[in-house]
Amino acid sequence: MTAFKKLTLTEPELVQQLQSKDPAVLKTLYSMYSSAIYGVISRIITHTELAEDVLQETFVKIWQSAAHYDNTKGRLFTWMMNIARNLSIDKLRSKDFKNSLKNQDIENNVSFVDEQNKVTFNPDVLGVKQLVDNLKPDLQAVLDLVYYKGFTHVEAAEKLDLPLGTVKTRIRLAIIELRRNFN
Amino acid sequence: MSVENLKAYIESGVLELYVLGDLSPEEALQVEEMAAQHPEVKAEIAAIEQAIEQYAMQNAVEPSADVETRLLEKLGLSELEPEKTVKSTPPVAQEASIIPFDESAGKVRILRYALVACVALLIISTAALFITYSKLNDAHDQIASLNLDKQKFAGVVSKLEFENQGLSNMAAMADSQEWATINMTGQPFSPASKMKVYWNKKDKSVLVNYVAMDLPKTDKEHEYQLWAMVNGKPVSLGVFGKNDSTSNEALVKMQAIQEAQAFAVTIEPMGGSVNPNMGKLTVMGGV
Repeated sequence: MTAFKKLTLTEPELVQQLQSKDPAVLKTLYSMYSSAIYGVISRIITHTELAEDVLQETFVKIWQSAAHYDNTKGRLFTWMMNIARNLSIDKLRSKDFKNSLKNQDIENNVSFVDEQNKVTFNPDVLGVKQLVDNLKPDLQAVLDLVYYKGFTHVEAAEKLDLPLGTVKTRIRLAIIELRRNFN
Repeated sequence: MSVENLKAYIESGVLELYVLGDLSPEEALQVEEMAAQHPEVKAEIAAIEQAIEQYAMQNAVEPSADVETRLLEKLGLSELEPEKTVKSTPPVAQEASIIPFDESAGKVRILRYALVACVALLIISTAALFITYSKLNDAHDQIASLNLDKQKFAGVVSKLEFENQGLSNMAAMADSQEWATINMTGQPFSPASKMKVYWNKKDKSVLVNYVAMDLPKTDKEHEYQLWAMVNGKPVSLGVFGKNDSTSNEALVKMQAIQEAQAFAVTIEPMGGSVNPNMGKLTVMGGV
């Protein structure tokens, strides 16, 4: 729905309005980035309701800690995405989430499948699924763990039983692969 | 730092971890210092960020619409949502068309209660009216019977007054030296009858006392006639009516007679007769 009339502003405009707490900017920001951020959250937390809670918490935190964003250290999206990833991982490790898992395994699986299907409906995404699939399996595995599962590279190394350096290299190679494809 | 070292640094993968937020604060600080000193590092970081951002954009998943609504509500910014206001207008209009119906349904319900209350009130009123009406009838009956009692008592009182008058006269005349009392006794026509006549010795006037008489009853065409026997001849002293309390006076003044040897009463046709009907001589007594 919002895909047809996304509100857009340049990043410096966004940052300026966000840091001056202009209420109108939140809607613009949400319009521009909510689905991208939700794409990250919903791959970390497959339970739809909890994922949407985290999305809401993410934007509340973006709004409330906008003053802490420093544009010399990186892009606005990177900052926002890391807020979303941290909140998602916190949620994943919280008692709240573990309780919800006990009775809702099937529901989680269903909603996970739904979310996978949703991706294919986004015209922008059509190439991406294939792209990710076309990554070499060893690159894909590392990227999945770190990017989608919220693992640290240390945890990913343990999980994949690989040296830390190899994990770092594979993350770099995966991202280089992405850069090449996008450019 | 040499170009080789810089290249090695970039290729170590630490910049990717930095962008992914997978470094400790100290490590992140080091990367930021490197980026500030070396434009190559800054450019590399920017390229990684853009790749990640692109990747995120193209793996975007649309959250359900109510998340934004809830978010704006939570931050108290929901009034800034023009789209929401437009969307919410039709439901409001629908509600507006429903609300009066609900109100009229409420009115109908109130009217129904009012009608039930009115019917109940009518029944109670009718019952009360009937009770009042029957009580009123009772009261009328009581008033009528009380009136009857009153008349009865009034009659008794007047009779008592009448008798009292007669009796006090009798007593006064018995004590008086002026009056002679002639006792007349029953004759063969009516043996049980008796009567008294009072004759004034001075003015010769004659009185009869209804209280002091016991005569047979007469019909409507007949009344009593008093006679004085003067030297063997009857002289009429007038007629008097039935022994009842219709007249207020217990005493009736008859015609005066100068001399008489005896008095008698006969029953004669109304108005009296010239000569007494000796067949109906009721009482007689000598002076």
